[in-house]
Amino acid sequence: MGWRAMRIHDNRAWFLIAPALLLLGLVGALPLLAVINYGFHDIFTLADVHWVGVQWFADILASDRFLASLGRSLLFSTLALTIQVPLGIGVALLLLGYGRHAVWGLMLGALPLVVPWNMIPMLWLGLIDPQAGLLGPGLAAIGFDWKFTGWHTWALILAVDTWHWLGLVVVLAYAGLSAIPPAYRQAAAIDGASRWAVFRHIELPRIGGALAIVFLLRFVDSFMIYTEAFAINAGGPSDATRFLSIELGEEIKGFSYGQAAARATLYFLIVLAVVWAFVAATRERET
Amino acid sequence: MMRGLALLALAGFILLPLLQAVILSFTATLATDTVALGTRGLMNYRNVLATPELRAAMVNSAVYVSLNVALSIAVALPAAYALARTRFTGDRHFLMLILVFRVTPPVVLSLPIFILFSRFGLVNSPVGIALVHGLFNLPVAIWILESFIRAVPREFDETAYLDGHTGPSFFFRHLIPQIAPGIGVAAFFCFIFSWVEVVFARILTVTGGKPITMAIQAMFSFQTDMGKVMAMTCLSLVPGVAMIWFVRGHLAKGFTLRA
Repeated sequence: MGWRAMRIHDNRAWFLIAPALLLLGLVGALPLLAVINYGFHDIFTLADVHWVGVQWFADILASDRFLASLGRSLLFSTLALTIQVPLGIGVALLLLGYGRHAVWGLMLGALPLVVPWNMIPMLWLGLIDPQAGLLGPGLAAIGFDWKFTGWHTWALILAVDTWHWLGLVVVLAYAGLSAIPPAYRQAAAIDGASRWAVFRHIELPRIGGALAIVFLLRFVDSFMIYTEAFAINAGGPSDATRFLSIELGEEIKGFSYGQAAARATLYFLIVLAVVWAFVAATRERET
Repeated sequence: MMRGLALLALAGFILLPLLQAVILSFTATLATDTVALGTRGLMNYRNVLATPELRAAMVNSAVYVSLNVALSIAVALPAAYALARTRFTGDRHFLMLILVFRVTPPVVLSLPIFILFSRFGLVNSPVGIALVHGLFNLPVAIWILESFIRAVPREFDETAYLDGHTGPSFFFRHLIPQIAPGIGVAAFFCFIFSWVEVVFARILTVTGGKPITMAIQAMFSFQTDMGKVMAMTCLSLVPGVAMIWFVRGHLAKGFTLRA
């Protein structure tokens, strides 16, 4: 509010955002329009394209496999967010107590973020390899079988996803928490507020912006998880980890470009709906 | 005490898979005439550096990531300035637009981007990947730079204007030195998102210009030399770890949702 009032109204600002709009138009808007357009066509080759109307959309929405995958992806996102957001905030709160030394924790948390995505499942499969892995023999001994037991595959993918992204949650939550003036916490301490009360009434309301972006980024990336899930078990065992993105990947690999484009459009609409609802809720709360 | 133990457990969780990779990278995992299986040493790293495709992949990745970081920041800076200092018709729509593109799953756009870029001759070229990674890095750079510019008081701009610095000279001589840490943080986040990305990097490198991620993928075969794969992986972490080290003091600035 204060921020909006402080700024002057000047439409020449459009010149300054023009380069950004140009780039996003080229790599964002144009491909997006193309994908929506393809979704209404049967694409045999690029020279042999037929209009099919909403046929692909109707097919996808009516298929039980799509609904099952949608359910799995929603469940996966819910689990990932439920584990990673509170855990990340918890770690950030712990680190806050270490003052200057907290930076070591942030650097450690950021490490998995610089690992190439396609190598992350390889690192973990190496770690849990029953013969050679550091954890493999132990896990095998307690009957952990990620290849053939569905919920074990789920647990593994969730662990890998948490390993990959916890650092981002910690860094952004820590950024929000450390920006709160210490006087706020001191005042609450003098009033004898419990740690939970300080968090609930002083810290949480002030890290909303940081948590909002964490929530959205983690939702989208977990909802569309592909690289890790495909490399670990390719959707198996018996479709237990067949997420939305894995279905899309199969169609692209099978050269069903029309169907794939319709499916991509649907996924985009789902993501858009969540983002829009989320932003609307955030703005509602602010005003 | 409990806090220390919790953080120690977390450190173990994060380091264990990396430790596994480092151990394997120093172990011979494929027996040859001269090296027995399980021997420890630097042979995997020597093999990686002796393979021209892998050396080329490191250069390719470095080139497009640097291009992307430079492009994202150059384009984001004026936009961030506009958002931080002025209100204009459609500013909220612009913020919503960059948020939507930041969260659009790459796999949704991969096919038309490939078709579009092959028309412009941008396939197999680092320029193509650098441009398309702007899709998710430009929004992040705008968010970070905007928050840093907002922290600079308005009077700073006015003093510079009075000294006769406007336009590019204001940006280069005044604003950029003032928000240097912000540029570092933005560069860090752009770097990590671009360096590790695989969907666009795969689809835009059909025959040449393969980045590290794809070069590693190509090492998997009937008889995969895991030691060599892990050596390549460990080498691929070096620039990222260096980036973390350089921005460590500013890592905690992060970025927040602006909508």
